[in-house]
Amino acid sequence: MSPLLQSLLDALHALLEFAPPLVLASLGGVLSEKSGVVNIGLEGMMRFGAFFAAAVAISTGNPWLGLVAGALAGALSAALHALLCLRYRADQVVSGIALNLVALSSVTFLLEAIFGSAGVSPPSPQLPRIFGHSALTWLALVLPFAMHWMFTRTQAGLRIRAVGEHPRAAATAGVAVLRLRALCVIGSGALAGLGGATLSIGILGQFDVRMPAGQGFMALAAMIFGKWTPLGALGACVFFALAEVVQRSLSLTFHAADLHLEGLFLALPYALTLLVLALGVGRTRAPAADGVPYDPEGR
Amino acid sequence: MADAPAARPPWRQALFAPAKSPLWSALFAILCALAFCFLAILATGKDAASGYADLFQGALGSPRALGESAIKGSVLLLTGLSVTVAFTVGLFNIGAEGQFIWGALAAAVAGHLLPLPAALALPAALLAAALAGGLWALIPAWLKSARGVHEVISTILLNWVAIDLVHGWLVAGPLSVASGNADVSIAGTAPIRDEAALPRLFAASGSRLDLGLPIALAIALCVWLFLTRTRRGFEWRCVGAGPEAARAQGIRNGRCIAEAMFLSGALAGVAGALIILGTEHRYPGVFRTGYGFDGIAVALVGGVTAPGAVAAGFFFGALRAGSTRLQLVGIHPSFAELIQGVAVLLVAAPRLFAPLLAKLRGRVNSAPGAAQPTAEAP
Repeated sequence: MSPLLQSLLDALHALLEFAPPLVLASLGGVLSEKSGVVNIGLEGMMRFGAFFAAAVAISTGNPWLGLVAGALAGALSAALHALLCLRYRADQVVSGIALNLVALSSVTFLLEAIFGSAGVSPPSPQLPRIFGHSALTWLALVLPFAMHWMFTRTQAGLRIRAVGEHPRAAATAGVAVLRLRALCVIGSGALAGLGGATLSIGILGQFDVRMPAGQGFMALAAMIFGKWTPLGALGACVFFALAEVVQRSLSLTFHAADLHLEGLFLALPYALTLLVLALGVGRTRAPAADGVPYDPEGR
Repeated sequence: MADAPAARPPWRQALFAPAKSPLWSALFAILCALAFCFLAILATGKDAASGYADLFQGALGSPRALGESAIKGSVLLLTGLSVTVAFTVGLFNIGAEGQFIWGALAAAVAGHLLPLPAALALPAALLAAALAGGLWALIPAWLKSARGVHEVISTILLNWVAIDLVHGWLVAGPLSVASGNADVSIAGTAPIRDEAALPRLFAASGSRLDLGLPIALAIALCVWLFLTRTRRGFEWRCVGAGPEAARAQGIRNGRCIAEAMFLSGALAGVAGALIILGTEHRYPGVFRTGYGFDGIAVALVGGVTAPGAVAAGFFFGALRAGSTRLQLVGIHPSFAELIQGVAVLLVAAPRLFAPLLAKLRGRVNSAPGAAQPTAEAP
């Protein structure tokens, strides 16, 4: 095999490792915000998902149970977000930020309490690999298309979009706005939890206290870059993952670690994301009622 | 109904007038958070009571402990003010952490390089920190008003850029002190000159408390006076309350946003400088900060007001100082952050406490001679 082909294959392999957690979380963001609820808490939901997936996989020895636990943990934390935002009409950004704070500290606390470690969990059983990648990787490639189909071709998808664009009109047509929004937020948390589980039991094979290291926020940026659509989000996540792959290989080529230049390269994907957003991609395409609380009794 | 009056608040209005009594909301939130975390320690089978006793001891038990609490409180009240100031123009500055880091680095560099007499070295280092933090905060301000990029996303990304650039490159590489065989990764930058260090106030009592406390309090007073008593402060609040209405009144939104973000970043930058010039005396190679992130909690629990930020800053500062003692009973010091997070989660939804507040208020109103401003219409 020629060296060029080999390095391309390596890059593709790396891409398929980096992109899936981002894609899953980003789809979570799309689902929640399409229904009109801002979800800054993706980062925290990923963290809960990553931790509980690893913890359950370790204690039961079954990675599939871990996967379920990861999705459940994400969904439960999202249910809290939904409760605060929809029932108590908390500011959605504040609630999401608070959720991130709670996730950051409580998972550190639990890691210490359960595994007696401030750094990493013991190795966990990993999901079996299909063609060299975990099942979640392939799920992350298929799901955007499924969600696209849902939004464009099904009644449920139409209702979600209606609730995010004009909740009052949707309510008049008989849609239970708050219930549908709650479902979308909870689904969004399950997806973010799966994204987190991909990090811990899908890729690394253990939980690291730094997870998800900003990936939830990157997923959010990808959602905006992808103009709040599943396929756009997929494209944006692949782009970000590519930036990460390039960053790592550049960093290796230039011996950045020896020269203490690592930070320059690490900052690249974030700076690139900012640049992309600044160039105006995805401006003002948010669902019209995104972040606006809905009061069923209001006029 | 208890929560009827605040009907149909537009987005974010709840932030600027959270409950009718933000003070009570914050106190309830903190008490509930303390209780919740007490139960969390119990659930892990550890001695919660002695843990809390240690926490208290570590925060307020000795002159030294008080000093540590006040130092951390001064820093947190500044980052809390930073987030608060951005809020007044309606921006959610998640980027205080990045601005804090640039401010700290600028203070370390200026404190080392500038050959100034004592009377000028300290102000110069503080000014450098304010400039560095303020300029970094202008990036999201510009992205917001010129390019329509939501500030939450841009400030979060800029935090990572700042952390990677400063910790992963500048402090590890070009600015790291050439220290022979010493491990370069933990060395940090060259130490600041003695003239630039913040003088200690009670060195004899073993407390490390320095001039940072009065400086932070003076800044808080100025910010409060500015926001509540000046024309420009009023314009900022107009922009935050309703950008369209403000524009219709001839207020230039973009300019107000830029000014407020600059001040916000400058405050976070000065917070960073206080740590460097007060206790670290250099930019350390391993610098676990989080003060900027905590500023968000301080601002929110403080009801997004300057006096609230001061109170919440000192409370969380004491919590942070005391939590280092929790290791004695085997509890991770990040426990303080858990209390903080739960408290923010609870203040995020002021309506949680609305029934309770209404009951309390009813009792106060019915008491003879209690002049409550207005009873709420049902």
